[in-house]
Amino acid sequence: MKAKTRYFGEIDIAEDKIITMDKGMIGFPELVHFALIFDEERDAKEFSIMWLQSMDDGDIAFPVIIPSTIVPDYNPTVSEEIISPLGELTPDNTYLLTTVKVPSQIDKMTSNLKAPIVINMENNKAVQLIVEDDYDVRFPVYNLIQGLKREKAGE
Amino acid sequence: MLALTRKKGEALVINNNIEVTVLEIRGDQIKIGISAPKDVPIYRKEVYLQIQKENEAAISAEGVDLLKGLMK
Repeated sequence: MKAKTRYFGEIDIAEDKIITMDKGMIGFPELVHFALIFDEERDAKEFSIMWLQSMDDGDIAFPVIIPSTIVPDYNPTVSEEIISPLGELTPDNTYLLTTVKVPSQIDKMTSNLKAPIVINMENNKAVQLIVEDDYDVRFPVYNLIQGLKREKAGE
Repeated sequence: MLALTRKKGEALVINNNIEVTVLEIRGDQIKIGISAPKDVPIYRKEVYLQIQKENEAAISAEGVDLLKGLMK
């Protein structure tokens, strides 16, 4: 599947790598095909920004992170019924992502821990849902990220 | 928008599989019971709108450019 993207130029993603969100991202029901774009050189467990690039609208890419890399005890309660269309989820095939928002001041950047994206990496089906837990919609992450970077530099 | 008047204890059926019941009326608050298939997400609208707004803000070109700079 090909797409002309605003941030990554023209990309061609193998069909079996296309992530399908039947219900779209919340507020964007018409966008159902995505590619997860990330830096392959980084360890998956390590903090990094990845991109959920829409294949339906090349101008749209959601910056996302693996929330547990900055909030190690992040463990939202996810309704089994809402994620049942994703098929059987196991710790090994499940990817949990949260979106990142950067206002004009970068140190005010936040991640939305209230509405994670759950992906089944085996069949590439995904859903964004709102959890009942008391997680912050605008959880500040900039200082945590800078802290992690310094830790890494000091290794 | 369809407007229907209901009393306490009365219900509406939507699409054969969703039932909305007025459980309690107290002053300007009403308690609503919803029976729906469990894979139908039901959210308080203000929470839903907040998430929608965050999603819209996350894809702002200005923010994305700043972020790409940070990750270099």
